[in-house]
Amino acid sequence: MFSLDTISPLIAAGGINAPEIPALGWLTNSILVASIVTVAVLAFTRMATRRMELIPGPKQNLVEYVVEFLYGQVEGIVGKHVAPKAFPLLATLFIFILSSNWFGLLPGVGTVGFGHKVAALSVDSSHVDAGGHHTFVPLLRPATADLNMTLALAAVFMLVWFYLSIRELGVWGTLVHIFGPKGGLQGPLKYALMPIFFFVGLIEVVSIIFRPMSLSLRLLGNIFAGETLLHTMGGLGATIGLPSWLAWISTVVFPLPFYFMEILVGALQATVFSLLCAVYIKLATTHDGEEHH
Amino acid sequence: MEGILQTFGLDWPKFISQVIIVLIVYVILSKYAFGPVLAMLEARRRRISEGETNLKTIEAELNKAEEKVQGMLNQANADAERLITEARESAESVRGQKTQEAIKEAQQIIEKAREASRLEHESAMNELKRDFGRLVIDATSKVTGKVLDDKDQKRINEETAGQVAL
Repeated sequence: MFSLDTISPLIAAGGINAPEIPALGWLTNSILVASIVTVAVLAFTRMATRRMELIPGPKQNLVEYVVEFLYGQVEGIVGKHVAPKAFPLLATLFIFILSSNWFGLLPGVGTVGFGHKVAALSVDSSHVDAGGHHTFVPLLRPATADLNMTLALAAVFMLVWFYLSIRELGVWGTLVHIFGPKGGLQGPLKYALMPIFFFVGLIEVVSIIFRPMSLSLRLLGNIFAGETLLHTMGGLGATIGLPSWLAWISTVVFPLPFYFMEILVGALQATVFSLLCAVYIKLATTHDGEEHH
Repeated sequence: MEGILQTFGLDWPKFISQVIIVLIVYVILSKYAFGPVLAMLEARRRRISEGETNLKTIEAELNKAEEKVQGMLNQANADAERLITEARESAESVRGQKTQEAIKEAQQIIEKAREASRLEHESAMNELKRDFGRLVIDATSKVTGKVLDDKDQKRINEETAGQVAL
């Protein structure tokens, strides 16, 4: 029977559960990376925006370019009216996810950690203890390869999405928006189709409930798979029994193409997550009258 | 659902700590990054817009100034043309006047010269008449051997003068 444990040898060091770092107790390697990324992003933006000038310096210029580009994209999806309220969340999600994804590609992330010592500077990253748990604990691990992180991102989004929806349409307006007749129907037809629209509204509610799961699992799956792929490719030479010197070279050569792919996947997943969030906001904050334009 | 989440490593306390991390990033970026940057972009956009408006105003004023300068040049040209025409007319008038004066003066000079010539001619004629009369008297007295008295001399003189006056 298929289970995650059956593919555990191929899963990245530490498995899908973000393990706690032995030396730091409760803190997991994923939370540690999330904290590092947070500090790095905040420190850079603070440095760039501390003394804003009309003629910007290089750092301010970069931040302005990113913000202006993202604002243009967000405004294009959610509209001019909602953009100022939705932009901070969507931009935060994009920047944080992108930084976390790319942070996972840095050397040492997922490969440096705690485990059974096998050489002067090496530990056995494939060792599984009697309980079936990995004993190798990487010090750093991509924050977005941990469900706790991706679900947290989705949860924060849903909170802000809910707030924006209620603020834009009101409680009654939101209910009408979900369950009410659409397409500007009038007269007897409107009342005749009400049960159908109510049923469609129920389906819509179910889809809203599943949004956090779909958002978080999509991001987790892609980043975790990427991390696993890189680890697998790194160890492929030894797995297929190449001579030790060739196996060592293969640890560089085999993962290299996939590094480029993971750079792309990291940007793509940050875009997909933010884009879907923007679309959800757009769907929830569009007044019925606007739909006909 | 709970089983799936547990399988994928969901741990509620750690999930909440991640939520707090995301909220911190969201709040701080909103307050200290996106807000100031968007305000700066808006300020720059406004400044560019004002610059464009000022540019249009300056262009309009420049056009007005050019039109005004052109008007002034046209006016100056017209004035200059008028002044030249007036000067030309004035010069023509002065020249005509001076010519007339010169002609008049020349005529006066000619008249005077003519008068002087006439007077001189008359004077010469009178002197000639007297000399001629005296010669006639001398000749007559010598031919006749008679001493002519004043009455004769006067008569001979008048006759001679009458004949010479031709």
